[in-house]
Amino acid sequence: MRVLLVEDEIRLAENVAHALRDGPGFAVDQAEDGQTGLDLAENLCYDLIILDLMLPKLDGLTVLRRLRERGDNTAVLILTARSERSSIIQLLNSGADDYLSKPFDLGEVIARAKALIRRGKGMASPALRLGDLELHTGDQSVFRAGNPIVLSPMEYRILEYLMHRPRAIVSKRELLEHMYDFNWVHHSNVIEAHVSNLRRKLGEGANPPTIENLRNRGYRLVLEYGNYKDAGDESG
Amino acid sequence: MKTYSLTRRLITAVLLVELCSLLALIGIASVYEGISHFRALDVMLRGRADSVLGAVQDAEDPEDNLMLYGTEGLAPRRDIYIVRDDRGRVIGSQGWPGGEQALASSDTREFRNLTVGGVRYRVIRRPGLRIVDPGDAKGGVARHVIILYGSRTHPVWERVRNAIAFYALSGLLLLVVTGVVLLHLLRRGLQPLYELAEQAGGISVTSWNLGPSSQARYVRELEPLVSAIESALLRLEQSFAQQRQFVSDAAHELKTSVAVVKSSLQLLTMRTRSAKEYEEGLERVRIDSERMEELVAKMLTLARLEDGAEQPESYRTVELGDVLRDVAEHFRTLASFHRISLVINANSPVFVFCDPDQLRLLCSNLIHNAIQHSAAGAEVRAIVSSRDKVARLVVEDDGEGISEEVLPHVFDRFYRGDPSRSRRTGGTGLGLAISKAIVLRYHGAIRLESRPGHGTSAIVTLPLVETTAERTDPGVVRNQETGVVAS
Repeated sequence: MRVLLVEDEIRLAENVAHALRDGPGFAVDQAEDGQTGLDLAENLCYDLIILDLMLPKLDGLTVLRRLRERGDNTAVLILTARSERSSIIQLLNSGADDYLSKPFDLGEVIARAKALIRRGKGMASPALRLGDLELHTGDQSVFRAGNPIVLSPMEYRILEYLMHRPRAIVSKRELLEHMYDFNWVHHSNVIEAHVSNLRRKLGEGANPPTIENLRNRGYRLVLEYGNYKDAGDESG
Repeated sequence: MKTYSLTRRLITAVLLVELCSLLALIGIASVYEGISHFRALDVMLRGRADSVLGAVQDAEDPEDNLMLYGTEGLAPRRDIYIVRDDRGRVIGSQGWPGGEQALASSDTREFRNLTVGGVRYRVIRRPGLRIVDPGDAKGGVARHVIILYGSRTHPVWERVRNAIAFYALSGLLLLVVTGVVLLHLLRRGLQPLYELAEQAGGISVTSWNLGPSSQARYVRELEPLVSAIESALLRLEQSFAQQRQFVSDAAHELKTSVAVVKSSLQLLTMRTRSAKEYEEGLERVRIDSERMEELVAKMLTLARLEDGAEQPESYRTVELGDVLRDVAEHFRTLASFHRISLVINANSPVFVFCDPDQLRLLCSNLIHNAIQHSAAGAEVRAIVSSRDKVARLVVEDDGEGISEEVLPHVFDRFYRGDPSRSRRTGGTGLGLAISKAIVLRYHGAIRLESRPGHGTSAIVTLPLVETTAERTDPGVVRNQETGVVAS
């Protein structure tokens, strides 16, 4: 998952970004002013935008409104030092999905970020299921038919992203963009290795959910190899 | 002081004036009444005396022995008279015992007042001529008679008293009516004042205006009050809004600052870390809390400078160059760290009268700013000069300058021209606001001039003290300064 963090207080941004990378393993891009934040949000795909309100150049509320005006549906979590009811109502009415008042709890930031990403992808439960494959986003554990599977952090992140979008074709570029921050280009070759490792670890036992590799189009997480090939071709 | 009613005072004053005029009027009127009634009495007395004389003249009296008797109905019963002829014989009288003495008196005035038998009378003296036997060829004998005729004065006084009573009663009625009407009129007349009070009562922190419907605005006497209230409200509203903005900004800054410290700590506890990681994390927390401390200290300084009363007892005559050199000494390390040369140009002594600590803070803020905005190898110049009773301090740098849209806001509290830079350098956005507050406190002026890409100059002017007599011992100042540094 890739998160954009727009916060002008460098130390706070560092801490939040660190927590998001460390905890749920999100890729985090940072912007220090509203204009940069808006430019990034427009040009890159994010699963969540964490936005401070008092920002130089362009304030958070304006950034939020511009995003929504342009039809951007990315989930937005607002960080605010203002706790007046009116400003919160205004925020939510302007298209914010959630807010946190400063000084906030880092654990709460992570929990809300995960919940917003889940909701944004149409999931409600923190435990994602596909066939006999189970992924718990809370403790980042993966089970196949009740047996735990040990994954590397990157493998987990790839699987988590694919499980949020089952049966959809996810391009390599999209996967890259959502796994890494600004420097994703340097990782383009590594992702193939990660996917193949992941496929190997998942592919043990009967009736495995499998990651299909569609040439030049991307990856697709399906219940049974071949079952959705035709449908995938049609949609492609 | 005891409260009093303006209405009551006004009404009392008006009624008192009215009462005095009434009393004067009654006095004048009663004198007039008395005079006119007595005139009427005198005219009547003349008539009655004449009719008595007529009776004397008409009496049939061939023997010249005329006697009048009271039974003849010559005069009303309550009146008295006495008639005497020139032979000294009383030829008639009514109700006047001892009338002879009155006749015998040498008083020859026409009218006089007498008391007869305890009753007061007004008496007319009417000399007359009686012709005895006018049928005679010689025309008869002329006999002189003197008539004294008196009438009681009591009824006249009674009438005067009645008139006075009438005047007094109507006067009283007038007073009452005046009082009631005045009360009513005053109440109605003071209505704009009550309205104004009601509107003033409606003023609160959420509604600062008196209300455009104020009737009081059109009352000439209330106009100064209304405009005074309005201008006071405007000033209050501005300062209140400013305060509220400050509190809101301060809360924002503090919450953010607390959020930094809190998140730094939470980050450490999210999972177990190595001793080295903990050490580094705690060091970061220490730096974060120091920044918070600095922020709080600066906010307090600013609040004190802006709201606190002046403390002239801490003012000294200080030499600007001395202070500047002192401050520059402290920045030597920082400047050399950034490879910036600090040039002080303060040759002729320039004296200003102010709190030395605040002046030092001002210089230190300006020099610190200049160093922060200078590139490595650049020069920061501080120049002190004086001209026309004005002391002048200019701090120049060759830094990146300030853009035109940022320049008007540099003195705003918590304003950071270049956020990424000043946040990184630990700026609180209060330095220039504090500098401005200090300069304003001493009735000076401060402005920034900047050419983007070429550098910025901070120009401070302060009132110059021309005397060289009172000079604070620079040694003392230095000692204090080193004390601060040591701590």
